[in-house]
Parts: sequence; C-alpha cells; structure tokens
Amino acid sequence: MLFVALASHVQAQTPPDLSGVWAPYRAGRGADPKLNPPPPTPIVLKPLYAKPYEARRAAEDEATKRGEPLGTAAVQCVPYGFPRMMAVALYPAEIIQRPAQITIITEAFSEVRRVYMNQPQLPIDDVPPGYYGHSVGTWDGDTLVIDTVGIKESVLGFQNTPHSNQMRITERVRLVTTDMLHDQITVDDPVVLEKPFTYTLAYRRMPNYKMVEFVCENNREYLDEKGAVKMKLRER
Amino acid sequence: MKTRLYVGVLLCAALVAAHPVLAHHSFAMFDTAKRLTMSGTVTGFEWTNPHVYIELDVPGEKGAVKHWSVELGSPSILMQAGWKFSDVKVNDKISVVLNPLRSGEAGGLLVTATVRDGRVLGNGPGRVAGQP
Repeated sequence: MLFVALASHVQAQTPPDLSGVWAPYRAGRGADPKLNPPPPTPIVLKPLYAKPYEARRAAEDEATKRGEPLGTAAVQCVPYGFPRMMAVALYPAEIIQRPAQITIITEAFSEVRRVYMNQPQLPIDDVPPGYYGHSVGTWDGDTLVIDTVGIKESVLGFQNTPHSNQMRITERVRLVTTDMLHDQITVDDPVVLEKPFTYTLAYRRMPNYKMVEFVCENNREYLDEKGAVKMKLRER
Repeated sequence: MKTRLYVGVLLCAALVAAHPVLAHHSFAMFDTAKRLTMSGTVTGFEWTNPHVYIELDVPGEKGAVKHWSVELGSPSILMQAGWKFSDVKVNDKISVVLNPLRSGEAGGLLVTATVRDGRVLGNGPGRVAGQP
C-alpha cells in the first residue's frame, strides 16, 4: 500500500517529456475528431481597438477578392513572433526540454522561444518589448504552464489582433496522447480586450523528423504603393 | 445545382490545400481557377526560402522564347511532398502546370512539375491532416 502511494507520488512529480518535433494538426479529412482542440472563445476588443481592427479586416477581404492581397510583415521576411509563430501553416516545431529551460524552435523563420523554469516572472515594465518576450514555466501536474509578457506592440496576435504592452499570455501545454500535444493559449490584455480569449493549438508528433533550416534569403514578394503583395519576375 | 455545389466543395478543398504552401503571403495574386501548361528549358532552380523558384525558357512561335518565373512552396513543405533539392537542374527539359499571375505577367504558382525522369511532383503539402 505504502509502495503504491510512494510510486504514484514519484510519478506525479515527474513531468512528461515533451521533447521532439511536433507538426500542427489540422482538423479535417483523416483527423480524429476526439483529438481536435476545442474552438476558440470570442475575441472581444474594446471599441477604440475594434473599429480599426474591423476596418483592416474588411480592407483585407476586399483586396483579396480583387486579387491584390494586402501584405503583412511576414511578406517582408520579418518573423511572426509569439504567439503567431506557434501555428504557421504546416511548419513543425521542435521542443527541447531540460529541467531548467524548455526551448521551442519553430521551422518557419527559425524562431526561438526560451521558457525559464521555476523562476518568478519579471514585472512587465522590466522586459524590453520584443518578438518573444520573457517566458517562465512551471509544471501543474502533467501540464506545462507558461507565462509570457513583453511582446512588442507591432507583433500582431492570433488573427492579427492588436495588443498593448500590458498583454499577458498564459499557455497550458499537455500531452493528450503520447503523440498528440495541445497548447491552450489564453491572451489577457486589460487595455485592448474586454475580456481574455482562449484558443487551443494541436500538434502531432513527427518521429525522426529533422528540422529544416529557414533563412529568408530569396524573397521575391514585395508590397506595392497600395500595400498589395506583388511578385518580382526575373528577366532572361 | 448539385454540380455547382460539387465545384464549390472542390474549390474550397483546393484553397485549403494550397494555403499552407504559402506561409508568408496570400496566394490571391495568382489566378487559381486558371491553369497553364508549358514545357521548356530550365535556366535556374533556386532551392531557397521563403520560396523555391524555377526559371523557365519556353519556346513559342517562330523561334521566339518567353521566360517564365514559377513560384513553389518552401524547401520544407516541398520535401514533405517528396521533392529533393536535386530534382531540377539547369538545362533540364521539364513541363509545368501553373496558376498564372492575375496581372498577366509571365509568372505563376506551380501546380505540378514533370521533372527529367518523368516523375510528376506537386507543390505540397504532401501531408493530409493528421498525417506527418
């Protein structure tokens, strides 16, 4: 009895190993609906931010219909930053887990996040605004909880939502099965949002996958004077 | 009515399939409803990010040659669809199917390429949902 109690105690204290390469898992053909992440909660922006956001989305939709899509920073080879880097098309992410630090490398643009384990978070005003901010992590049972602050305001969020320098992002990362990972991302921003919103990304393990380098050296896309994406052509 | 619905479903499937290829920009500058097939001589094959490019000289009427720039996915996405960096070389004779630029310029987005050994390669993604 004592042995069983001790064994389960030890098990509870040993966090799962998330190390490996993970590919975004999209619901759809061939997907197991039981493993699909829950749908995102509504994004409710404060009126001051909602108006320009809606206007930009309408302009994007209109331009896309015209065949002159509006570009974003990524067109100019500027990385996505956190949190958008966590879901770029089908590009995989590699997790390297050590007790003191968990490192997440995403393939598109070779972006890197470092999560410092069991350290107190810094005050927001002490973090220089950047693409990845400052992340600290703890284990809540089998779930990795990551707290991130210090994301630059120009780094747009989920569905290109704006944010202030007061944004705080909380992630709950856990293995749903041995080969399926969910990252539940909650964005809180008392300046921009009426209330926090949550969305969940799913990943499938890619055994033996070797991450491919991504240096954005040959960018032929550019933005014209209207902000539309165009392609440079080569002469003979 | 049924036919229209079917076409709609196909179009949606095509959009969903095409989107991941272009991670860093929308593909709306290409006319994905239109397909051009052309054969020519490769003058350049750039295995680079954010995109791979095939430069192609396509012979026309009376010996005139038109040059086309063809955009592919990125090396990562193409490798997952079965491509190798050495599948196309300068001076290869290949044929391509592409979605042309809406602007009418001689550029497009690759749909398929028939490479020198006869294999037909797509533009990724080779993976369907849930399969690495």
